[in-house]
Parts: sequence; C-alpha cells; structure tokens
Amino acid sequence: MRHITRAYDAFLTLMAIIAGAMLIWLMVSVVVSVTMRNLGLQPYAWLFTSSEYALLYMTMLGAPWLVREKGHVHIELLTAALPETMQALVSRLVAALCVLVSVILAWKGLELFLTNIERNDFDVRAYFTPKWILTISFPISFALMAVEFARFVFGPELLHSGEAGVSE
Amino acid sequence: QEQTITAVHAFPETLIYTQSFLDFVEKVNAAGEGVIQIDVRGGPEAIGMFQQPDAVRNGVVDMVYTPGSFYAGALPEKDALVASNLTAIETRENGGTALIDEIHQEKMGVKYLGWFDSGVCYNLWTRDAPTLDEGGNLDVSGLKLRGNAVYNAFFTDYLGAQVIDLPTTDVYSALERGVVDATGWTQIGLIDLKWNEFLNYRIEPCFFSTDLGVIVNLETWEGLSDEAKTILQDQAIAHEAASVEALKAKRDADFAALDEQGMQVVELEGQARADYLAAAREKTWARMEEQMQQHPMGLENYDTLIGLFYDLEKAGE
Amino acid sequence: MEWYAALGLLLGTIMLLMGIGMPVALAFLAANIVGAWIFMGGEAGITQLLNNGFGSLTSFALVPIPLFLLMGEIFFFTGLGARMFNAIDKLLGRLPGRLAYVTVIGGTGFSTLSGSSMGSTALLGSLMVPEMNARGYKTHMSVGPILGTGGLAIIIPPSALAVLLATLAQIDVGALLIAGIIPGLILACLYIGLIWVQTRMDPSAAPAYEVEELGLGEKLKLILRDVVPMLSVMVLTIFGMIGGLFTPSEAAAFGALGVLILAVIYRGLTWDSMKKSIVGALKVTLMAYLIVFGSATFSQLLAFSGASRGLIDWATGYELAPIAMLLVMFGVLLVLGMFMEQISMMLLTVPIFFPLAASLGFDPVWFGLIMLLALEISFTTPPFGLLLFVMKGVAPPQTTMREIYTAAMPFIGCSLLLVALLILFPGLALWLPGR
Ligand code: NA
Ligand code: NA
Repeated sequence: MRHITRAYDAFLTLMAIIAGAMLIWLMVSVVVSVTMRNLGLQPYAWLFTSSEYALLYMTMLGAPWLVREKGHVHIELLTAALPETMQALVSRLVAALCVLVSVILAWKGLELFLTNIERNDFDVRAYFTPKWILTISFPISFALMAVEFARFVFGPELLHSGEAGVSE
Repeated sequence: QEQTITAVHAFPETLIYTQSFLDFVEKVNAAGEGVIQIDVRGGPEAIGMFQQPDAVRNGVVDMVYTPGSFYAGALPEKDALVASNLTAIETRENGGTALIDEIHQEKMGVKYLGWFDSGVCYNLWTRDAPTLDEGGNLDVSGLKLRGNAVYNAFFTDYLGAQVIDLPTTDVYSALERGVVDATGWTQIGLIDLKWNEFLNYRIEPCFFSTDLGVIVNLETWEGLSDEAKTILQDQAIAHEAASVEALKAKRDADFAALDEQGMQVVELEGQARADYLAAAREKTWARMEEQMQQHPMGLENYDTLIGLFYDLEKAGE
Repeated sequence: MEWYAALGLLLGTIMLLMGIGMPVALAFLAANIVGAWIFMGGEAGITQLLNNGFGSLTSFALVPIPLFLLMGEIFFFTGLGARMFNAIDKLLGRLPGRLAYVTVIGGTGFSTLSGSSMGSTALLGSLMVPEMNARGYKTHMSVGPILGTGGLAIIIPPSALAVLLATLAQIDVGALLIAGIIPGLILACLYIGLIWVQTRMDPSAAPAYEVEELGLGEKLKLILRDVVPMLSVMVLTIFGMIGGLFTPSEAAAFGALGVLILAVIYRGLTWDSMKKSIVGALKVTLMAYLIVFGSATFSQLLAFSGASRGLIDWATGYELAPIAMLLVMFGVLLVLGMFMEQISMMLLTVPIFFPLAASLGFDPVWFGLIMLLALEISFTTPPFGLLLFVMKGVAPPQTTMREIYTAAMPFIGCSLLLVALLILFPGLALWLPGR
C-alpha cells in the first residue's frame, strides 16, 4: 500500500513537472515563432497551435497537484466563524462536494473522449488534430482531482484552515 | 399545437450575417404562428462559436447558424461550398444542397436546412500597392499576410506566402502596428471591422465563397410536425435566394464607400488570373480530398460535389 | 423558467457554494453542472460544459498571463527585483509609501503597453507585493494600487478589449482608444491622491524607515547599475510592440526572456531560483485558468438561460430620463460583471445598450468609454472579480480574501469618481481629437 501511495504521489508530481515544462514551452514557442517571422522566415504553424494546446495540458495536468498544494483559492467566511468540530465537519463536507463534482466531470470527460474517438472528431486549427488527444486530459485530470479531494474528506488533513485572519 | 425550437448563431448580433439569420427567424415566426416558432438564445455569448456545432449534434440546442468551416473536422465536404463559385439558388436547383444535406444527416446527425448569404466571395486586401511579376502573377514575397485555417491551403501552398495566423479580433492592432500588412476577407465587412483604415488595395478577382448555413438537430427535426417542417424548409429556400440579393446590394454599397475613400483595385489579368482562381479552388479541393479520405465514407461524393458546386465555364469568364 | 428564477438559481447556487468555502473554480463547475442540467438538456449539457471549457482555455489570448507571471517571479527570486526596489527606495528618500507610488506610476507605464489587465496584475503583483511585504507595507497598501492599475490596462491604449468593444459597437476604434488617454491619466492621479491620503491617515501602513542620504555620484551609480537595466527590459518590450516586431500578446514572452538574460548577467540565476519562479508562476496560472474554465460556461449559462437578457430588458424597459437610464445601464453592467466574463458581457449588452444610448443622444465614443470603465471595475469587484483571485495567488500566503476585498474598495471608489467626472465633463473623453 505504501508503495502505491508513493508511486501515485510521484506520478502527480511528474504531471506537475510536465505542466511546468508547458509553461516554459509557451515562452520558447512564442520567441521562436516571432524571431522566425522577423527574419523573413515562415514560422512553423505548429509553434502557434502547440502553445494553445499547451494551455489546456498545463491546466489539466497541474490541477490535481494544485489540489494537493491547497492552491485552489477559496473563501473562509463560514469555516472561520464555526467552532472547531463543526469546522472540520463543514470542511470535509465541502471536500466531499468537490469529489462529487470531479467524479461527474471525470465520467462525462471519459464519455466525451470515447465519443471523440467514435466520431473521429478533429480539432481544426492550422492542422487537423484528433480531438481525443486533447480531451483525454479531462478524465485523467478530474479523476485525480477527485482522489486528491477525497484525501481531504478522509485523511488527517483538512482543506480549510479555519483561520480567516491567518491563512485563508 | 405550436412547437418551439431553440437556436444560436455563431457571430455577434451586430454582424451583418447574424442580422440576415435573425431576418430568417422573423419570417419563420411570422409564417409559423401556431405551428412552429424559433427561440433565439443568443450568439457566441450563449455558446462559444466553435462549440456550437457539437451543441446542436448533442441536442443542447436545436438549431445553429454557423459557417461549415467551424465543423470542418466532422465534415470536410464543407470545402465544396468554400471553393464554390455558385450561389445557393443554383445549388438548390441542381441538387447540390440536397446532397450536402444528406451528408450532414449521415455524418453529423443534423439536418442542413439552407445555405444562406451565399454569393459573397473573398478578396486579398493589402496596405501597399501589390507587385506583379512579368507574367502578371501576384508576388507575395514581401507581404506579411494574415491567415487562418480557411485560407491557408491557398495562401501557403500556392502563393507561398508568409502567413501569420491571427484571430479576427487581433487583426486591427496587428495592421496598426504593421505586424501584418495584408489579409483575406469577404467582400463585405471590412468597413465594419475598420480595417479599411489601414488597407488601401483590393486584389481582384475574388475567390472562395462564404459557407454559412443553418443546421438542425436531426431528432428535433424528425419530431416536428409535417406542417412545421414545410414552413421551415420553404422559408429557408426563400431566404437562400433573398439573402443573395440583399448581400449583393450590401457589397455594392460597401465597394462604393471604399471607392470614395480611395481604395484602389488591382486586377490580375489573363493567364495569371486563371491560375490564381484555379489554385484557390484546387488547393481547397486537395484539402477536402485529403480529409475526406480519413472518414469511413471516403471519397464517395467527391466528384459529384465538385461538379455540383463549381461551374468551370463560369470561372473562365 | 422565468428569467428572474433562472438568475436567482444560478447566482444563488454559486454564492452558496463559495460561501461555504468551496474552492472558487469547483464552485463554478458545480453551479455549471446544475445549470447545464436544467437549461442545456441534462447530460448533454455537461458534455457541453467540458467542450466550452476546452474552447475557452485553448485560446492564444491567455498566453501572456503565465509569461508575465514568470517574468515577475524571476525578477523576485533571482534578486533582480530587490536590487531595483532597494535602489528606488534610496533614490526616493523619505517619501512615505514610495513603493505604492512606484506601483501606480510603473503600472500606468506598463498599462500603456499591456492590453490585458490580468497580465498587468499578474506581473505587478508577483513583482511588487513580495518586495513591499518585505519592507513592512500593510497588505492594502501593496495590493490595492496593483488592483487599481491592473484595471488601467483596459482604458489606456493599447487595449485589446477597447478594440473589441469598438468593433462590436461599430464605433471608431481610434477615437475610443484616444478617448481613454486623459481619463486613464486622471484615474492614475486619483490613485496617487488616494495613496497620499491613506499614508497620511495611517502612517504605519507604509513604514517610513530611515534611508541614508546619497551623493550625486552614488545616486547615478545606483541608477545605472540597478534601475536602468531592469527598466530597459520593459522599455525594449514596449519598443518591440510599437515597432511591429511582435503583438501585445506576444510581448510577454520577450519580457520573460529579457529578465532571464538579465538574471544570467547579474548572476542571480540558479537552479533553485528558476525552479521557485516556475512553481510560483504555475500555481497562480493553474488557479486562475481553472476558474476561467469554469466561469466561461457560467457566463454562457446566464446568457443561454435568458437570465441576463431578462435582467437587461427589465432594467432598460422603463421610460427614464437619459441620466437615470445611463445609471441603470451602468448598474446592470456592474451586476453582470460580478459574475460574468468581460467578452461575454460585451457580446450580450452591446446590441442593446448602444442603440439605446444613441436614442438617448449619448456620444457613442463617450458611452463606450463608460462601458469600458464598468468592465474594468467589474474585474475587481468582490466577490468574483478575477483579478482579486489572481492577486490572492501572488500575495503572501497569510493574506486573506477579505483583506484583498477591502484593499480593492477605495480604488473602485476612484473609478466610480472618474465615471461621475465623465458624466459631468464629457469633454474629458472627447477633447483629444480622435476623429
Ligand atoms: Na493598455
Ligand atoms: Na467580472
């Protein structure tokens, strides 16, 4: 079990590292394409398209990691006002709601991905890109987000700090 | 009992093409009182413009007014309309529109109700006087040409242009700063976008055609009463013809206004003109052929479509 | 469903979920699932939600934000920012709240090049807040001015949003851009006045620590060594844009590259600082983009369900005096702006408001500018102004959302004051010849 948890954590970190690489790629692709243009060369169209796709992959690959890092911003008005036991209850309830939302989206995302394969859908920009290559990020990302939120439902840590004045 | 279907349009409400669609809706709602009503839910603010084709396929909305190019991945055959030199009046008569409808039903599960605002073609517009080589061909080597997915087959493969892909909303500031100094655009609309502030030359002949059409979710369509279907189809056919006339008038008005502001027209002549037009259609057909091959239906309708949507004799005029 | 029921349901759901502490992005997604189920035909609506999110995320217009963030983070973690602000601190001597002024002046300058308020806020926030925090500034002194100047990016040209508005409303683009110059500068002055008042009322908000007096030679050395090179990155970026080398959307990449090069020259670039910069930029980007993913569909649901159109028709359905009508339209924009994304708002309101404004005898350029101001304000209006969340992301971890809300308020007040000035003296917008 411990091995699985560790491997899972490493996988999540790896996804975040790829998301970071996508961020750097945004800079590189824009710089290269603008430089080529100004040298009178034809910039590769995939430089532009890949930067748009990088935005999606970056967001989806990084989102579960950000749940682990408690980086998705939330407002602590209620949790801060409640006594500690109630606070824990509300916090776990909210996390459970987040699990529910993530599971629904992971499930519909999986359906979308399968439909895209079945219908042979393409995303049309400079190229015809098979759409499933992009939408596959939905089931993966939302499923892992569900797992990460579930940790705040059942695990030792809470999503909320309950300290409005200190770390909302 | 009166039936109501929902609709969205791809472009903002103020655009001329949207006005044309709303005009059609008004006619349907007048003719269909007590039978069929269209409830327009809005434009790209209600459903994103590139998500609308999927929305109508999935039944989120019943009717969508959109360019075929927005669902090119699902239906590469739309390039027959892009490359066309005919109007919807002629293709309705020769069975072209019926074939396109059939393909829509089979590939996307939507009814192709009508091809509106046809007969409008595209020009290349430039800031500086375009240079022609000894053969009278357009020389694009010095141009910074704005492109997008629709024109690039022609611009890049034939003209060998240095294309800069930009969304329509970025073109104004790109022209202003000289990031691009030429763009393709329909004959109509340059003034609405204010690009005429920077563009001074229009290159003739024009090429391509707009490919805006109304598609309806097939289940919705089949659930309509016969009377409702007849009203929708009749009004669509009438609007196909009416919109051709209306947009011709708008184009003449736009051209006159541009003339007055000093827009210069550069005509390609003779062989150069023929080659230019041939490349515009053939590069587009080549793209259509390549993409059609990737679908289960294959090239089944390729030759028929080309025959029905392009009149080679007319191109020679 | 009647429009007010739809409006109540959608807004009620989102406010409830955010109120109980659900992460903002998830609250949007949850409200979307409910709304899509009801208004977009059940399960198909949820698929639509994912398609919409895909469409709104894969747009080049979003590229500058992570890059401006990266630029600011590199500035901070490589010590380049500290160098520059130490120097400015010494050069400005004892003026209380000097870094807040620097923010407004620098932010105004930066706004002239940036067309995106999210980009500006991202850059200024990641650049200035940690520095001001280290120097003991209270949160509202560091966060407030940045939120204010982030919004300036919309009205001071170039502004992508202004161009889009002019195109949609079919008014003269050049005239609208030029009309924004004087009001933009007035707004910057109002901000400066506000900071002056704030530092007078609460001197401890911006500690007036002692700095040594410097000779002319030392000052010159500081300027040349620590200020000029850093500023030159921004200046070169501006010239690149003016010269047509790249578009405003592309400029951010060169800004980030420029700072990287500087960091190498000043030997601040280590593996560790690079890693921290990327992680910092990534966190804020991911947080903001997942909200974009969710809020895009929320805007669309408000439109598709007929809720926002119903609100507009209802509010503009009364026969009122022109000035009252203007305030009604402004109010509708503010209300919608709390929940909707700006471009959707423009698409929705322009076809109704501009003809109405024309029938009331308003100058379209002047009205366009008022509308831009409303959009700018809505970007920083609690509870959902996106800039507030970007700010939360770049501010030190102990900063609360409530502190950010309170910091934004006085600056929103300045913008409202400017609107009042524009109504009283329309010449402020129309005096510069734009046509
Ligand atoms: Na600006
Ligand atoms: Na807003």
